[in-house]
Amino acid sequence: MEDKGREFYQEFEVFSKRTFKSPFQHQFSLLAPNHELAVVMAQENFMRREPVVDIWVVKRSDIRMFNQEEREALQRLDNKEYRNTKGYGYLKKKWRDKEQGMLDEKEILSWGGDDK
Amino acid sequence: MTTMTAFERLSDEEKHNHFMQRIEAGEKIEAEDWMPEEYRMTLIKLISMHGISEIMGALPEKEWVPKAPTLRRKLGIMAKVQDEMGHGQLLLRVAEDLMKPYGKNREDIMQDLFSGRLKFHNVFHMPAPTWGDAGLIGWLVDGAAIITQTNMLKASYGPYARALQRICAEEVFHAQHGEAIIMALAEGTDEQKALIQDSLNRWWDSLLMFFGPAAADTTGSSKQDTTIKYKIRTKTNEQLRQDFFTKYIPRVLSLGLELPDPTMRYDEEQGLWIYKQPDWNEFKEIVRNNGPKSKERLRLRQLSYENNAWVREALSPSNEAI
Repeated sequence: MEDKGREFYQEFEVFSKRTFKSPFQHQFSLLAPNHELAVVMAQENFMRREPVVDIWVVKRSDIRMFNQEEREALQRLDNKEYRNTKGYGYLKKKWRDKEQGMLDEKEILSWGGDDK
Repeated sequence: MTTMTAFERLSDEEKHNHFMQRIEAGEKIEAEDWMPEEYRMTLIKLISMHGISEIMGALPEKEWVPKAPTLRRKLGIMAKVQDEMGHGQLLLRVAEDLMKPYGKNREDIMQDLFSGRLKFHNVFHMPAPTWGDAGLIGWLVDGAAIITQTNMLKASYGPYARALQRICAEEVFHAQHGEAIIMALAEGTDEQKALIQDSLNRWWDSLLMFFGPAAADTTGSSKQDTTIKYKIRTKTNEQLRQDFFTKYIPRVLSLGLELPDPTMRYDEEQGLWIYKQPDWNEFKEIVRNNGPKSKERLRLRQLSYENNAWVREALSPSNEAI
């Protein structure tokens, strides 16, 4: 009997989307006996106020997580200017000399139209 | 991947140094990371007590739902009680991940609560007999809780810091909910004003005790030095109590309330509030579950846990195969 009571507490990780446009975001973990109740608990625990348009619950045992050493190995070297717009910032001045504006990230992403 | 990694080959001392360097650099420690036993044990004690206190605190507050004067007030209190249970769920998750290496889970936390091994916060052992108390708890007890919790927002333990971030955001609502009740009473009839003065007098010692003793020699034990060493918190109990006075005493006085401690004053030279110490022996008794409401509330929690045991058994995953 007692063991069955203990098994009730399975670990789930909760992800949700705040708006249709936004990516899924990790919220927190919770304990529940199955996926169905995990979804109910997710709403109770994490979505009492914030708007939400979608919810995922994932059994923690199904997630392949990084260990400490793997995580520490993720730190990047700061020598990737050629990969970022930062490495091409000098163009702004060049274009200005030719009386042209810079087509930067803000400008280019605005071509998709206004959100509102 | 079963090969022994380079990190595992480090000696305990090297691991400890690496750990302290990470903390000093402002990195966050995660549940699966190597951590000193003292760090893990301190966090388990702190966070399981914090988590279970949220749940024990919801019990006296929920009593006010049927008695609250208007529908809006009832809804407000219900929302707050629901938040407290939610905070308890979050914090217990953080504690449980830390307890996992010892093979412990939620069931053990509940049993530790019932046996008295796991303590809950001193304020939740006290009675809240009037509507003034309901308001005062929201305003000043939650105010005190906000001071201690924001002190740990940058805690070195990542999961706790993230849980506190969510909790503190909701505490802002709790504080304003309490302020709204107190403000209505403070601007009401003489009888209503007397009600909040009476509540303030009743809760004064509990509010002082809320932050814990200034030093370990007062009550025989205090974890504050360890928690500061590991950057779980930044300020001492006394600094937090002083912050509370500075933020709330002017507000208390602005409502026309009198301080229950007539000797209390702000010493400009020292930059400190001088006040009469509460009875710290009484504090020790209260947190040992010998407070006025300790047994009754524990019994309520235990009964509900036992009455619902069949649900945990019926929904146990091992039943699905049958």
